[in-house]
Amino acid sequence: MQHSISSVRRGILFMLLYVILMSFFSFHVQAGTVLEPPQITVSGTVTDTSGNPLAGVNLVVESKQIGTISDFDGSFSINAGPTDVLIFSMVGFKSVTVPIAGREEVIVQLEEDVTALGEVVLNAGYYTVSDRDRTGNIATIKADIIDKQPVGNPLAAMQGHLSGVNIVQSTGVPGGGFEIEVRGRNFINGVSDPLFIVDGVPFGSLSMGSTNVSGQIFSGNISPLNAINPNDIESIEVLKDADATAIYGSRGANGVVLITTKKGREGKTRFDAQFSSSLGRVSHFMDLLNTPQYLELRREGVINDGFGDALENPAYDSFWPDITLWDNNRYTDWQKELIGGTAYRNNAQLSISGGSARTQFLISGSHQRETTVFPGDANYKRTNIHSNVNHRSNNDRFRIDLSTQYAHENNLLPRTDFTLKAYTLAPNAPALYDEGGNLNWENNTWDNPLASLEEKFEVKTNTLMANAMVSYKVFENVEVRTSLGFTDYRLESYRTLPSSARNPRLNLTPQGYSNMSLNQSQRKSWIVEPQLNWNREWKDVSVDVLVGTTFQQETTQQLVLRGRGFPNNSLIENLAAAELVESLTDVDSDYKYNAVFGRVNFKYIDRYILNLTGRRDGSSRFGPDRQFGNFGAVGLAWVFSEASIFQDDSVLSFGKLRGSYGTTGSDNIGDYQFLDTYTITGDDYDGVSALRPTGIFNPLFGWEENKKLELGLELGFFKERLNLNASWYRNRSSNQLIGIPLAATTGFTELTGNFDAVVENSGVEVDVRSVNLVYGTFKWSTSLNLTVPKSKLVEFEDLENSTFSSRYIIGKPLTITNLYHSLGVDPETGQYQFEDFNGDGAITSSEDRKWVEDLAPNFYGGLGNTLALGNLTLDVFFQFKKQKAYNTLQFNTTPGYPENGSVELLDRWQEPGDIKSFQIASAGLIFGEDRGALQRRSNAAVSDASFVRLRNISLNYKIPNLDNGLEINVYLQGQNLWTLTDYRGPDPEQTSNTRLPPLRQLTLGVQVGF
Amino acid sequence: MKDFKNFIKSGLSNFFGRACLLMFALIGLIGCTDFVEVGPPKNTLVSKTVFEDPATVESALANLYLAMREQGLVSGNFGLTTRMGIYTDELDYFGMDPELLEFHQNRVLPHNADILTWWGQAYQVIYGANAIIEGLEDSTSLVNTDKDRYMGQAFFARAYMHSILVSLFGDVPYITTTDYTQNNKVSRLPQEEVYDAIITDLLDAINLLETAEVENEERVVPDHYVAQALLARMYLYTDQWELAESVSTVLIDGFDLEDNLNRVFLKESMETIWQLKPGNSPVNTYEAGQMIINAVPGQTYGLSEGLLAAFENGDGRKVAWIDSISNAGNTVTLSFSHKYKAWITETQSLEYSIRFRLAEQYLIRAEARVQSGDANGAQQDLNAVRNRAGLPNTTAVGANAVLDAIVRERRIELFTEQGHRFFDLKRLGLANAALGDLKPNWDPSDILLPIPEAELERNPNLLPQNDGY
Repeated sequence: MQHSISSVRRGILFMLLYVILMSFFSFHVQAGTVLEPPQITVSGTVTDTSGNPLAGVNLVVESKQIGTISDFDGSFSINAGPTDVLIFSMVGFKSVTVPIAGREEVIVQLEEDVTALGEVVLNAGYYTVSDRDRTGNIATIKADIIDKQPVGNPLAAMQGHLSGVNIVQSTGVPGGGFEIEVRGRNFINGVSDPLFIVDGVPFGSLSMGSTNVSGQIFSGNISPLNAINPNDIESIEVLKDADATAIYGSRGANGVVLITTKKGREGKTRFDAQFSSSLGRVSHFMDLLNTPQYLELRREGVINDGFGDALENPAYDSFWPDITLWDNNRYTDWQKELIGGTAYRNNAQLSISGGSARTQFLISGSHQRETTVFPGDANYKRTNIHSNVNHRSNNDRFRIDLSTQYAHENNLLPRTDFTLKAYTLAPNAPALYDEGGNLNWENNTWDNPLASLEEKFEVKTNTLMANAMVSYKVFENVEVRTSLGFTDYRLESYRTLPSSARNPRLNLTPQGYSNMSLNQSQRKSWIVEPQLNWNREWKDVSVDVLVGTTFQQETTQQLVLRGRGFPNNSLIENLAAAELVESLTDVDSDYKYNAVFGRVNFKYIDRYILNLTGRRDGSSRFGPDRQFGNFGAVGLAWVFSEASIFQDDSVLSFGKLRGSYGTTGSDNIGDYQFLDTYTITGDDYDGVSALRPTGIFNPLFGWEENKKLELGLELGFFKERLNLNASWYRNRSSNQLIGIPLAATTGFTELTGNFDAVVENSGVEVDVRSVNLVYGTFKWSTSLNLTVPKSKLVEFEDLENSTFSSRYIIGKPLTITNLYHSLGVDPETGQYQFEDFNGDGAITSSEDRKWVEDLAPNFYGGLGNTLALGNLTLDVFFQFKKQKAYNTLQFNTTPGYPENGSVELLDRWQEPGDIKSFQIASAGLIFGEDRGALQRRSNAAVSDASFVRLRNISLNYKIPNLDNGLEINVYLQGQNLWTLTDYRGPDPEQTSNTRLPPLRQLTLGVQVGF
Repeated sequence: MKDFKNFIKSGLSNFFGRACLLMFALIGLIGCTDFVEVGPPKNTLVSKTVFEDPATVESALANLYLAMREQGLVSGNFGLTTRMGIYTDELDYFGMDPELLEFHQNRVLPHNADILTWWGQAYQVIYGANAIIEGLEDSTSLVNTDKDRYMGQAFFARAYMHSILVSLFGDVPYITTTDYTQNNKVSRLPQEEVYDAIITDLLDAINLLETAEVENEERVVPDHYVAQALLARMYLYTDQWELAESVSTVLIDGFDLEDNLNRVFLKESMETIWQLKPGNSPVNTYEAGQMIINAVPGQTYGLSEGLLAAFENGDGRKVAWIDSISNAGNTVTLSFSHKYKAWITETQSLEYSIRFRLAEQYLIRAEARVQSGDANGAQQDLNAVRNRAGLPNTTAVGANAVLDAIVRERRIELFTEQGHRFFDLKRLGLANAALGDLKPNWDPSDILLPIPEAELERNPNLLPQNDGY
C-alpha cells in the first residue's frame, strides 16, 4: 500500500512539474512575436492540366510559413513579399514551386502525380517516416481503401489488404470479434493480438465479455475495436519488424497496429454527409438432408443398433420422437427459417471540418443500426462522435493536437446463435408456433429453438478515448512534447433465462429457475509520455534523436452477478426483484507500466540510413525480481538508386535494400499471475463463504522474448509507376510464458511460467503496386500482396515427457493437429478403419493419432484493381488464401444420428461389398461398434479450404459540374460477394458450425459535401 | 566528418544539453521501480494470509465441501449415484447424452468427459486439503484446537476422495503434497497401498477430531464420527473384519436408526452421520432433481426391473422410497427412486444430501461379523435393518446364506446412493454374474473405469491404461 501511495504522490508531483514547465513554454510563446516586412497581395487561380479549376490546393509562402487554400473555383489570394516563393501542393498532384518575382497575379497548373509511391508519410508511432527513408517494415492502409468497405470494425477493413497480417472474422453476428495475427503465432500459449494504439494511446483489444453472459452468442468474444468507426480512420499502420516494433519493447512482439483518426484540414468550413444502406445475407447454405432422406437414415440407424422392435413400443418414444411422434411428411428448411433472414444496416454520418492556417477542427457524428439474419428483432446500434482540434502558435513553436472519440454501442441479440440449430434440427421437427401463436412444444418432445428469443441478451458499451499531443520547439531543432491519453471502456451486458423459455415438461418456475446474469466491466487507463526530439541537418548528414519515457496505468474491473428467485418472469430484468443475487466474477486488477525509450536516426547523403531504437520496460505483471527488461533494434537502409550509375531515364527509378534485427517482448499474460492466491468463489457452504485456491506461486516469471530479423528490397520502375517490395523475415520467440498444462493430480489444470521453447516464424512478403495505364481521364492501377508464412517449433526442452508431447512436434508448426489416419469404410463390416500406428490392435489412444495436418495457411494475400474513368471509379478486391481446415466431417460422420447433417451422409454402407465413404447407419444407441467419433478426429475431417473471395467491390460515381463547390458521390459497395472454393462446410474462413458465418453484404450510399 | 564534429559540439554545448538534463532529472525523479509495484489484488488473498485467521481457514474448508456438493464424484447431480446406477443393474437410462450412454452401455471411453471431470475435481479437492494441511503446519497465529479441527477435516477430505478414486480406477496416485513438480509426474500406487494410506489419514483425522470439538448440529461438516464411518467402510473393503466390526460399533452406539422410513432422508433424520448441506439454489437435494420423474415421456432415469423385483413382499421401503408414474395412455409405467422427495423448485429446505448413514454401518458390521464367523451377530444387525423396513427376521442360515442375504439387503437399503451397488458387486467378485447377462456389452475388465486419456497424455507416468481400454 505504501508503494502505491508514494507512486501516486510522485505522479502528482510529476504532473505539477509538467504544468509549471508548460506554462514556462507558453510564456515563451507570447514573447516570441516576429515583426513582418511590408507586403503585397498576390492573387490567381490553380487548375489541372486540362484547365479545370482545382479547389483545396495548399499554398504556402516558403520563407514565412504562412499559407492559404484555393477556393472552389481555384482562385486564391495571399499576402507575400515581391521576392517570395509560393509552394502549391495537393494530394494526387505534383507540388509546384513558383517565384512571385514581383507579379500580382499568378496562374498555376498542377500536373497529376501518376506514380504509385508518391511522397507517402508513414506513422511509426513515436515518429513519422517517409516511405522512401524507412528502415523498418510498416504496412499501411489508408482512408481511401477503408472508406470503400461497408464494414463495422476496423479489422474487417484490413482483411486481406496487408501482407503478413492474417485476420479471421469469428462470427457474422454484428458486434462480434476477430482473430488477428501479425506474422504468425509467436507464442505457444497466450494472446496473439498485436498492440493496438489509437492516436498514440494504447487501447486494450481484449474482450471483456463473460462466458456466463455471452458464451453462446459470441463465445464471449466482444471486440472493443467495434467502437471505432472505420469511417473516422485516416490510416492504419501495422508495424512488423524489429526496427519498427522494438521501440514498443515488451509489448511489440506480436506487432503493433497504429490507428490514426481523421483530422481537420485548412480551408473553408466543409460539411460532409454520408448515408448508406446495406443488405446482408448468409453467403452459403449447406446442402442438408430432407425429411424422407433423414428419416430413412434414422430408421436404418435404429434398426442397425438392434432396437428395431422397440420402435413399435411407445415406452421408448422419447428416444426417437422424430421417427414415431412427429409428422413424417413435414419438412422445414431450418437454415432458411433460422439464419435465412436479411440483415439491414443503415448508416448516417455527418461531419464538419475546416479551419485557418493555424487552427483546424473536425467534428463528426455517426449512427448505425444493423439487424441480424436471425428471427426476432435483434439489432446492433452504434453512435460515434469524433472530434479533433489542432492549433499552432504564430511562431510555429507551440502545437497542440486534441482528439476525442466516443462510442456508444447497444447490441440486442438472442442469447444463442441459431446457426447450430439451423444445421442440425431434424427436417421434420415440429412447427415453431401452435395455432394460438404460442411457442409449440409438441407435447414436450422437443426444445423449441425460438424459445431462446424469450431469453434476452443485451450488451451496451461506452468507449471514450481522449488524447492530447502538446509540443513546443525550444529551439529550431529541439522539440519537447508530451502525449497524454485516457481511455475508458465500459461494458454492461445482461442475459435473462426465464422459465417460460424452457420446455414445460421440466416444470420450471420463475422462483426456482428464472435467472438473470449481469456483466459490468470497465477498463480504464491513462498514459503520459514526455518526449524530447532533436534533429539537425548538415550538408551530408542528418540526425534525428528522440528520447522519451512512458507512464501507464490500467485498471480492470469486472463484476458478474446472477440473480435468481424472481416472483415472475416479467420482473426478470430487474435485479432488485431477485430473491438471491450471487457474484460469479469479481475482478479488480491493476497494471502499471513504465519505460524509457529512444531512437537515433542517421542519414548520410540521402543514401545510407541507420536507425537505432531501444526501450527499457518495467511491468507489474511479473515476479518481484523480474520486473525490468531491455529491448532494442538496429535498422539499416541503402537507397542504391541514388548512386550515380542510375540515370534519370533508367528503367529502375528507385531501389532500396534494408535490413533490421532486434528484440521485443510480450507481457500480455494477465495480471498477478505469479502469486499464489485464494479467490472468493461467491458461493458458500453452510453459511461460510468459500475460498478457492487459484494460483501457484511462481517468482521466476519474466518476459517472453521475440528476436526479429528482416531483409527487404524495394524497387520502383518506370518513374515509380511500378513498385515492388519484397521482404523476408525470421522471428524467433523464446522464454515462452506458457500456461503449462498440468496433470490433474496437481490440483490445477495449468501453471503459467517461462518455458525453454523456441518458436520460429519466417516468411516472405511481396507487395506490388502499379499504375498500369493512364489515358486521358482513364486510370487503371493494381495492388497485390502475397504472404508465404512458415512456422516451426525449433526447440522444446524435454517435449517427449512434457504435457505437450501429444500436441507438438519439433520441426513442425504450432498449428498442427494430430489425427487418426482414416482408411475408409471396410466393405465387409461397414465400419471405419484406421491405421493402427502403435500396433496394439486397438484404435484408442493418442499413440494412434500420428497423422499430422497443419491448419495454418500456406499462403494468403489480396489483389486489388482500381479503374477510374472520369467521375466513375470501380474498385475490385479479391482475397485469397491457401489452407486446410476441418470440414463437415468434424460434426457428423455417422448416418442415422438424431440430428440433421450433410446429404453426403446418404452415401453410407448398407451391405457387405458396398464401397462407400460413410459407415453403416447408427442412431448412436450402441457404443464400441460406432467408430464415427474416431473418424471425426481423423485426417478425413481435414481437407482443402483454400478460397478466392471477392471481398469487396465498390463503384463510385461523382456527379460532375455542380455549382458552389457542391460534391456528390453515389456508391454501390459489395462485401464478400462471391467465393471460389472446394471447401465442404459452411464457410472456408470460419469453419465452426456453432457460429454464424460472415455475411454477404450489398451497400448503396450517397455522400454529399459542400 | 567536420559536420559530425559540429553536431557533437552543438549537441552538448547549448540549451539542448540543459533540456536533456532536465528531462532525465524528471525521469529520475519519478523513479522506475516504485512505479511498477502494485498492491495485492483486491479480490484475491495471498495463501499465507489465509492461514493466519480461523475465518479464512474455514472458508478454505468450506470450498472443499462446496466442491463435493456441486460437481464431481460425490455430487448429487453429476456423481456416482446416476452414473454408476446406470452402469449397473440399478437404473435404466432414457436420455441421449453421449457421455451417459457410454456408462449405460458399459462402454466408457478413455476420453469420456465425465470421468475426466471426476478425476480432475477429486484431485482439486485433494489439493485443497493438502494446501490446508501445509498452510496450518506453517501457521503461527492459530490456537491448537482450531488447528487440529481444521487439519482433521482436511485429512478426512483427502482420504474420502482417494477412497472413491481407488474404487473406480484401481491403482491411483495418492497425493499428499501441493508441490506441482512432484504431482505432475506422479505414478500410480498399488491399490493396497492406497487403502493403507487412506486408513492412516483417517486414523489421523479421528485423532485430531476427537480432541477438538466440532460444532456440528446439522451434521454437515465432517467430525470424528464421519471419519470413523469411512474408516469402517475401508476396513470392510480391505477384509479387515475385526477392525470393521469395532469401528462400526462405535457408530451404532453413537446413533440410532430412524424408525419411520419416511423420515430417513429428511435433514433431521437421526441416523444421518454426514450430509452435504444444499446451497441457495436449490435449497433441497440435487438427487431429487435427478431421480424424480415428473412426466412420461420426459424421464431420464428409471429404476430397473431387476431392482424392483428384488424387493420382498411387504417391504416398506418399496412404498416409502419408490414412486411411479405413467404416460398419458397408461401404456407405460416407470418407477423412480423417491428417497429424496423435495423437488428442486421446493422453496423450503427439507432434505440435505446424505453421504453416510447408520444403516450402512449395521450392514458393514453384519458382513464383518459373518466373515469373522459370527453368523448370529450378523443376523441381528441384518434384522435391525429389515425390521425397520417392516420385514421379518432373515431366514438365512449358515455363513454363505447370511452373506448372500446381506448383499441383497445392501442392494435394497442403499439403492441409488453413491454407487454402493457397483462397489459391492466389484469387491465381492459378483459383477460378472450379476451384469454379464443383463448388460450386453459387459466385459470383466469393466470392473475398473479407464484413466482419462487426457491425463495419461499429460502425465505419461500414469501409463499403462487399465485393462480393456
